[in-house]
Amino acid sequence: MIEPVALADFFTVFFTAALVILCGGLYALLFAYARVKDTPRLMPLAYLSYAGLAVSALVLAHAAHLFDSAFWTLVVGLMLAGYLVAPHGIWHLCVGTHGDEDHAAPEPESPRLV
Amino acid sequence: MTALGVFDSANLNGGQKLAMKYFAVSLALFGAQVLFGVLAGLQYLFPDFLYGVIDFSVNRTLHVNALVVWLLYGFIGGTYWMLEDEADHKVVGLGLGNLIFWVLTLAVVVVVLVYLLVQVGPAEMKSIWLINEGREYIEAPRWADIGIVVAVLVFFFNVVATFAKGRYTGIGGVLVMDLLALAGLYLAGMFYTPNVSVDQFWWWWVIHLWVEATWEVLVGCIMAYMLIVTLGVRRRIVETWLYIEVALMFGSGILGLGHHYFWIGTPQYWLTIGGFFSALEPVPLVAMVVHAVFDSGVHRLKNSNHPALAWTIAQAAGNFFGAGVWGFMHTLPQINLYTHGTQWSASHGHLAFFGAYSTAVIAFFYLAAQKSRGNVWMSGNLAGGWKWKWSMAFLWMGMIGMTMALLIAGYEQSQIERAIEGSSWVGYFTAQAHPWFVQAMKWRQISGYLFSLGYVLLVWDLFTIGKRETRPIAELHAPSAQPA
Repeated sequence: MIEPVALADFFTVFFTAALVILCGGLYALLFAYARVKDTPRLMPLAYLSYAGLAVSALVLAHAAHLFDSAFWTLVVGLMLAGYLVAPHGIWHLCVGTHGDEDHAAPEPESPRLV
Repeated sequence: MTALGVFDSANLNGGQKLAMKYFAVSLALFGAQVLFGVLAGLQYLFPDFLYGVIDFSVNRTLHVNALVVWLLYGFIGGTYWMLEDEADHKVVGLGLGNLIFWVLTLAVVVVVLVYLLVQVGPAEMKSIWLINEGREYIEAPRWADIGIVVAVLVFFFNVVATFAKGRYTGIGGVLVMDLLALAGLYLAGMFYTPNVSVDQFWWWWVIHLWVEATWEVLVGCIMAYMLIVTLGVRRRIVETWLYIEVALMFGSGILGLGHHYFWIGTPQYWLTIGGFFSALEPVPLVAMVVHAVFDSGVHRLKNSNHPALAWTIAQAAGNFFGAGVWGFMHTLPQINLYTHGTQWSASHGHLAFFGAYSTAVIAFFYLAAQKSRGNVWMSGNLAGGWKWKWSMAFLWMGMIGMTMALLIAGYEQSQIERAIEGSSWVGYFTAQAHPWFVQAMKWRQISGYLFSLGYVLLVWDLFTIGKRETRPIAELHAPSAQPA
């Protein structure tokens, strides 16, 4: 059973839900940029974005009555964990898939305009 | 190869010639979508406008059906465009493919004429077979449904037979499996049952699973090819990422179907399933952000087609905001109870469709324009380059304006019509008469005009881009190349 959002909390829900995705995107962006440009001083900003995501998710969960149910509490927990580790996992995949890019032979069969 | 900058079909292979026909109809139908959208928007402001001639219901049907069909034409064109390159073999059954193009296009014209001239019929099966099936997005009458299935099967045959006779690449394998799902799912939209809950249950299989599963993968395939062609990204990398994205999209998107089952009479467990998988759906977008930053750092975006790459980047951003941010804002059932079917949905729909799909098809239009003019220069300092930039700016300004206006209208509706008035008829009309709603509709209309201007510029640009260029794109990697 779900408990609908109270009228007074509509804006809170819309705003924090948008912030969850925006902060998630910003976290991923800063995380990847800090790694690709080798600028570790940007990494705290990435985690600050994640902190923004976490706060937004918690406020969203409170306004949407998600903590009233064990299932929805679990969804919030999984979402927080998933968004935290996703950029790390994807980064490793990027490094793995691009690893031998510079050393591999050219691929003549690939169509190119030039 | 003919003179540089001159449009000549001799520059194209067989599949690409057929693709150009699909692109031409796709571009025309894009215009129809814009036109009927503008007319429908005017009817919000002036309810008597065209009343009894082309009612709002007819305009809206044409607006959304034109959207679905122009994108499908664009996807089919994109597939034929890359087919010979990918399979390293001439398109098998090209004559049949050409015949089906004309049959399908004639059917589309007849369906549009019936929508415009006949519009409605008596409540009997004959109307479903000949006039309108009555289910939004897939209103096409049953005879046209069957024709679409036949056309898609021929298209499927062309693709499978070409790969079978040539070579199967990773992109080709994913594409074939996806087209099978695309054709199969359409059959779910042809059930007819008098039980509206059962009817909606299957209808969403087409609408959601096309848009948030098979279309996503199809666009993934053609964008993978686009990255190889314009940026020179290595095939092995692109294909590995295609597999990862497909896994992420299917992992979250298939059961994300649940967020459409919230309020149609399905069992309550769909609230749980829909909420959970909807929360997962933005994960592929986060993955996309990381990979895009990684790739831009490695490849520095040196590319052979500026407009195509700009629209490809716009696709990534539009997908993130339209599908990700705008979707998640109202996807949890606790809030979706109030927003479902309001202008909020329209706001999300406009930005997500344009961001995720229209952008990809437009990128392909530019790829086609370049090759059809003999692989002309379309990188830095492009002659007449202002047109593609301004058309892109107007299209995006118009789309963002429409999205924000609809967002305001939807927010007002969710509060007044749904939460305060309890979804009653009185609530519906009270919300529609509210100054915030009326003002939002005015701004939506103004934004629609901006978007229309962008469309006109886009058409002008596609017909003229590269015409005055004398440089071949091969100069891009020459030692004295201009900055790209």
